[in-house]
Amino acid sequence: MSRGVVITGFGCLTAVGADADVTWEAILAGRTGIRHAADLGDFDFPYRLAGEIKDYNPRELIADRKLLKVITRQDVFGLNAVTQAIDHSKIIEHRTSLADSVSFDDRTGVFVGSPATKYSHQHDFLAALVGTTGDVASFGARAMEVVHPMWLLRSLPNNVLAYAGIRYGFKGANENITAHGISGAQAIAEACRYLRDGVIDRAVVVGYDSASELEALAYYGSVGLLSSEGLRPFDQRRDGTVLGEGAGALILETRRAAESRGATVYGEVLGSSVTSEAVGVLAVREDGEGVSRAIRLALDDAGTAVGEVGMISAHANGTRVSDAGEARAFREVFGDATVPVTAFKWSTGHTVAASGVIESILTLLCLTEARVPGIATLERLSTDCHGINVSAEEQKPASALGVVVTRGFAGLNSCIVLSANG
Amino acid sequence: MTAAPRRVAITGLGMVTPLGNDVASTWKALLAGESGVREIAGFDASGFPTRIAAEVKGFDVRSAIEERKSLKYATSFSLFALAAAEEAVRDAGIRPTAATAERWGLVSGSGMMTQEFGFLERFQRRFAPQGEIDVAKLGAEGDRFIAPTEFARHRAVAGQALLHERFGIRGYSANLHTACASGGQALGLAMRVIRSGQSDVVLAGGYDTMINPIGLAGFCLLGAISTDNDRPTQASRPFDLTRNGFVLGEGAGFMVLEEWQSATKRGAKIYGELAGEGNSLSSYRITDSPPSGDGPIQAIRGALEDAGESVEAIDYVNAHGTSTPMNDLSETNAIKAVFGARAADLAISSTKSQMGHLIAAAGAVEGVICALAIEHATAPMTINLRTPDPECDLDYIPEGCRPMTIDVALSNSFGFGGSNSCLVLRSPRRAERLED
Repeated sequence: MSRGVVITGFGCLTAVGADADVTWEAILAGRTGIRHAADLGDFDFPYRLAGEIKDYNPRELIADRKLLKVITRQDVFGLNAVTQAIDHSKIIEHRTSLADSVSFDDRTGVFVGSPATKYSHQHDFLAALVGTTGDVASFGARAMEVVHPMWLLRSLPNNVLAYAGIRYGFKGANENITAHGISGAQAIAEACRYLRDGVIDRAVVVGYDSASELEALAYYGSVGLLSSEGLRPFDQRRDGTVLGEGAGALILETRRAAESRGATVYGEVLGSSVTSEAVGVLAVREDGEGVSRAIRLALDDAGTAVGEVGMISAHANGTRVSDAGEARAFREVFGDATVPVTAFKWSTGHTVAASGVIESILTLLCLTEARVPGIATLERLSTDCHGINVSAEEQKPASALGVVVTRGFAGLNSCIVLSANG
Repeated sequence: MTAAPRRVAITGLGMVTPLGNDVASTWKALLAGESGVREIAGFDASGFPTRIAAEVKGFDVRSAIEERKSLKYATSFSLFALAAAEEAVRDAGIRPTAATAERWGLVSGSGMMTQEFGFLERFQRRFAPQGEIDVAKLGAEGDRFIAPTEFARHRAVAGQALLHERFGIRGYSANLHTACASGGQALGLAMRVIRSGQSDVVLAGGYDTMINPIGLAGFCLLGAISTDNDRPTQASRPFDLTRNGFVLGEGAGFMVLEEWQSATKRGAKIYGELAGEGNSLSSYRITDSPPSGDGPIQAIRGALEDAGESVEAIDYVNAHGTSTPMNDLSETNAIKAVFGARAADLAISSTKSQMGHLIAAAGAVEGVICALAIEHATAPMTINLRTPDPECDLDYIPEGCRPMTIDVALSNSFGFGGSNSCLVLRSPRRAERLED
């Protein structure tokens, strides 16, 4: 059985573009989608930067208006990306041509990197709390009158999984992963597992998030993770990350399934890994040990040597500790090699649960077009990030094979190994 | 693909449930046919339409974990997880060392209620006294309003992080949330992680509570839970004609899963083999599978195929059996569709009749119960099944726990959102027979 898993469709929406092409062009042009968060108006907020989806209009993003009543903002992004990727892959046209669509649906999986529940989901209960002053009984009675009966269903962390299934009728293996910054990458890894195990023939993979909700800006800021200046990966002046919104989706298929329907193959997922540093909820190891181990494990899984890697998509969230540890891990694994390193959060913001999928799509475009965009906000490479080939200028990948690194709370690290044109 | 496939041994069990705060006390209460459902004691639920639940009782995490530092990062369900995981690891008699930490994995299913009601109350008093959020005030004071430990505690990965740190597990890690299928999917994924060679040992399980004012309100608004407040111990009655919704439970279940050969080599006590999983999506409605059983059918068939077992081999089914009108009908029809004439001979029970619905923990706890059922050669019963439903006409073990040899057990878990999980557990003697 072939271990090959190929990419036959993709789509995304980010702070810099409503689809993959526009996002890609914006990044090549050095544009960032990071602005003052719209909901803040003129208020004096210490951390007011966000990579929001611009001119948010759910009706333009989701065709089914009834559906909009039972999902929330983050779900809208996820389902929009799913539709983009499915349309791009033409798998529905293929299904329509089949005599037996039942086994097609049973062997189509859905793997999701989910942001889990948000602070904003709880806001529906604020009105029920007014005047209760700690009296839970009267809160309960009021909640029954003022809160929407579908509140729980609107708030489910697996809504995108559920509605992607319902909309398209897919019934295969599925997972909904809530692993902070690696959720999206892990969704790719898990889809590959079930494809390799022969349980399914194809999978929709999606990562989505609206990480820059108002409360998150205040609270992430409170623990020192946010910048009020801008996201400057590996830069001497970097002082934190900027949260963002977005979603990315991929269609993955076994090579056999893709070839049998004559699908256009855009690339291949060769390997993946997840590691934990076991250092607590918010901490990360300064030496980047979890990152270097993740890269080695993923290359091993792909059956690929370090020297074959043509580019690195770094997590590069702009925080002091994470960027320095990551740079150290790259030096450790790749030595003084000149493999180009780039990153995308400076443009899209940190889309947390979505980032692994969005950045895999952008890496695929880098490899396909043999262009590694520069990091436009990088002015002076930080001394603690020395020895990596990162630039504000565009570079060329050294091969058609790239690695995508993402990191998350709980000391989680992930690496995806991709190649262009399968 | 020529090497013999790696198989997965169950070598440690741990539970915190509404019936008991460890494996032994939970199993004893299951055998006695007890109900863990009571009037809610954790908060004043008198203003809610439903005032009953299956709460964990008299739980003190310090009985399992002496170390205090990390506990301030834990919400209640993370504490259940730490205690159940500790019991499983002690039971297995193996812990990660510096040399093995990277070969240990952690796979769990966890709940969605990551923020605490007390936090929301404080937020409302400070920033939304009239119900509308004062953005200017949130901007000015928000970053000082929250403590770092509180911020950490609210992360969906908080429990996962605590488990990693507590046990020093540094290898593969996954946290799943497919509502009520989470725990079952977690055990199934853990099995695949060992099979693939990514890990040699995996701490796997599920943990959850939604018994808090927001969770309870959410389910009441939806009309999904029983309102039989005047007879709590009879409120959860899966497959009964008069069933009228599930009863919320809480807790955690964990297993230590090990590659079979290395477990044998170190002389581990092996409860059984985690032999197969089926994972499917119903893609029908958010809250239900269809009456035909479509969705659950594929999960059960997938699990049997994955384990290489036929319908004739199955002795016992731990049903999802939530006590909602639609689930129990859909599940019954799924079993009939898969098992055909065999369905009538199957011993099936829903332990949710006794401990309520543990949501994201349910599948993991019920997996542990299946391992115990094999070990003790006893199928647990379905309590409260007094009025047979003509459409649910299988053998649900209503009369009392049934002593019987169990060589192969199935555990079903179906979630809100349509995710379905089915697990196959095999007795050690059957697993060894297949090994030869």
